[in-house]
Amino acid sequence: MVFNSYTFIVFFIIILILHNLPFSWKTKKINLLLASYIFYAAWNPPFILLLWMSTVIDYFVGRALYTQTNLSKKRLLLVLSLIGNLGMLCFFKYGTFLLDNFVTVVNAIGWNFHPAKPNIILPAGISFYTFTTLCYTIDMYEKKSKPVKSLLDFSLFVTFFPHLVAGPIVRPPQLVPQFETERKANQKMLLEGLFLISIGLFMKVVLADSMLSAPANTVFGAPGKLATLDAWMGVLAFSGQIFFDFAGYSTCAVGAAMCLGFILPQNFLYPYAAIGFSDFWRRWHITLSAWLRDYLYIPLGGNRNGKFRTYINLMITMLLGGLWHGANWTFVVWGGLHGFYLWVEKAIADFRHDKVSAIVDTPSGEVGVLGAVPEILKPNIFRNFLIAMFTFFLINVTWVFFRATNFKDAWSILSSMFGFMKDGEPILTTLAILKVSVIVTGMVIVHWIMRDKKTLELIYKFPWWLIGLFWAIILLLLIWSQESSSSFIYFQF
Amino acid sequence: MIAHPLAKAALLMLVIVSCAIAGWEYYLRSEGFVIGYNDDEALWANNRAMVYAPTDKTTVFIGSSRIKYDLDVETWEKTTGEKAVQLAQGGSNPRVGLVNLGNDEKFKGKLIIDITEGLFFRPEDDEQILSRLKYYKEATPAQHFSAKTDWVLESKFIFLDKSNLSLGALLDQVSIPERKGLDFDAIFPTRFSYINFNRQSIMTKEFVSDTNLQRKVKDIWTNFGGLKRRNVPKGDTLQKVMAEAVAAVAKIKARGGKVIFIRTPSSGGAYREMELINFPRAEYFDQLLLLTKSNGIYFTDYPELKDFICPEWSHLSPADAVLYTKGLIKILEQKNWFTKHN
Repeated sequence: MVFNSYTFIVFFIIILILHNLPFSWKTKKINLLLASYIFYAAWNPPFILLLWMSTVIDYFVGRALYTQTNLSKKRLLLVLSLIGNLGMLCFFKYGTFLLDNFVTVVNAIGWNFHPAKPNIILPAGISFYTFTTLCYTIDMYEKKSKPVKSLLDFSLFVTFFPHLVAGPIVRPPQLVPQFETERKANQKMLLEGLFLISIGLFMKVVLADSMLSAPANTVFGAPGKLATLDAWMGVLAFSGQIFFDFAGYSTCAVGAAMCLGFILPQNFLYPYAAIGFSDFWRRWHITLSAWLRDYLYIPLGGNRNGKFRTYINLMITMLLGGLWHGANWTFVVWGGLHGFYLWVEKAIADFRHDKVSAIVDTPSGEVGVLGAVPEILKPNIFRNFLIAMFTFFLINVTWVFFRATNFKDAWSILSSMFGFMKDGEPILTTLAILKVSVIVTGMVIVHWIMRDKKTLELIYKFPWWLIGLFWAIILLLLIWSQESSSSFIYFQF
Repeated sequence: MIAHPLAKAALLMLVIVSCAIAGWEYYLRSEGFVIGYNDDEALWANNRAMVYAPTDKTTVFIGSSRIKYDLDVETWEKTTGEKAVQLAQGGSNPRVGLVNLGNDEKFKGKLIIDITEGLFFRPEDDEQILSRLKYYKEATPAQHFSAKTDWVLESKFIFLDKSNLSLGALLDQVSIPERKGLDFDAIFPTRFSYINFNRQSIMTKEFVSDTNLQRKVKDIWTNFGGLKRRNVPKGDTLQKVMAEAVAAVAKIKARGGKVIFIRTPSSGGAYREMELINFPRAEYFDQLLLLTKSNGIYFTDYPELKDFICPEWSHLSPADAVLYTKGLIKILEQKNWFTKHN
């Protein structure tokens, strides 16, 4: 079920009541686990079997990996775990894509091969829970943390409904210890959680769905040539839509967990105020970039094997990060463009002999990410703002490949954006242009103002009546917009 | 005593939200607005699931917007004792729905297809119907539960009429000078119509009595090409369209189903004339009947149906919808549409 639905409201109220009744901690955890399975089964009940399979296999493999002393057997177990997890992901997510590419290649070399189109349904959230369980088995292999004591705790770690289908991608040390002792939200946590859920839903329902999705869909679905203004407005609309959609989901997830007394890591930190691309990846989908850093970039060698290998490792990581988002070459190009931007940024830093570190903490201190910390991050507000706007401009270019369904459409929109398309036609109404302009400008300003701040700390600096008024306005807009139950964009990944 | 500042903020929020919603609902009721449902995928899918009801007691309707206004479902069900399943969709090409029912082996019932030529003979697929069919096939248990909750709330609160009273719908009503060269975007007045749970579109009392509102909708039809000579499908394109309909109708009839085509009223001198110029009856409607070997009811052929005046040229008022439905039932009885129940 999605957070922006009546089903979730009813579900969440029942869970909150059950969680606050005087049951034993074990009973409460069983309640949460069953609730999480119901949450997942509400999409497609049969796929719950996959989730169970993944959970049980990784629990026992993880324990064996930790206790196994024979290195060969240990490696074999790890390989089996990787094949199991990634194999499932490959089949469901990349099966059709791999087959299509195979068919294209063999037909190109003269073998007339046309198999039936497979009808594979992508289980919701498979990319997210696969990464969650993968990091556990890899941690066990490297003995980074201790095995989870009970299957109940491990199942809840994998399945806990706030993060299950679209993250944040949690690590065992972030969540498992929270299941060991009784957790219940106090009044402050509950209210802060509800406040975050309200903000998250406002971002998703009002800004992403009600205001920005239509202009973005119109432009990216336009069959003909587009005027430059329309192409830019469509891309900016998508830029806002993807942020409000995904950050809205993450904010709801963090808020829902908080209402139950749990803390999940932040996933977004005002990314459109990023000064450069390494800064962007410290702020956008933070838990994924941290995962890619720890389980891909560093194992590849990170920055330990010289500059050339560092550049190659960065690019491999970003290309695979792009492919993680979807089974389409357009996502690979999206990742490649980000890799290229990171290359350029790193080259500038290397040229300037800036003292940089490839792995750093985020400003909020939660997790680190790929890339270098540029010298430019030193205080210089005007210059930094200009660089942030240039970064935002380049990010918008990458979103074209992320949103377009094929390269032909992507090139067409890029041509329109940069004035290479003659006789482009207007397609967006004045109202749509006004909506996009106001919301995207507001978004960038808020990101810039908030770039080093935290929402939950900031609200206490305002009088309670102002917060109450703000809360009421966003809830009223949420109710008034009446955009319920539409899926989150990141569910398809 | 409330200690935490957020608790005080939450309390204030609850007071403001409750008062604002109550005030808005009270205002809408005092202005004469009535309960209207969101005519979305879920409501369509709810009706789509009914097409398998006992075939001798159910008639399925597909078409574009006209039959949604012109068929008064309550009158139909009271008069015939049979269920009317409304699957028409405004602005859509009903051929997509016809093909779907043709391919559905389980559908063996009675089907009435309303033809608005400019939409039915369009060669392209129809996203509206395709997205509704996708929802019908793939809706999750959570979506079903949400839809049912939504309908309960929509049946109680007027402000939940999404197509007329949501934030987006009301913003669309703001009058802003439009850009030059932009294709016309149809924004219907808020008071044009609403949808009931049967998916019937009903003109509001205000619309029926307000010629200024009617003029706004007439302007939309004019801008949409209703008064212009259009590129209409001909030759191979038309043959493909016809063949698709022929195949679908044949499949339904082969399973024991019944199919009839109808042409609901349109009016307004020049508008009606241009419809006939763009889509001459003999080449389109009559040819469709001939090729599909089906019966048809063209409104101008029947004294009961031919004299209706559509307030905005294209759809009937609620009072006329009742009369039209009665007239249609009478003609269908003559054509042995209904099974005699003893």
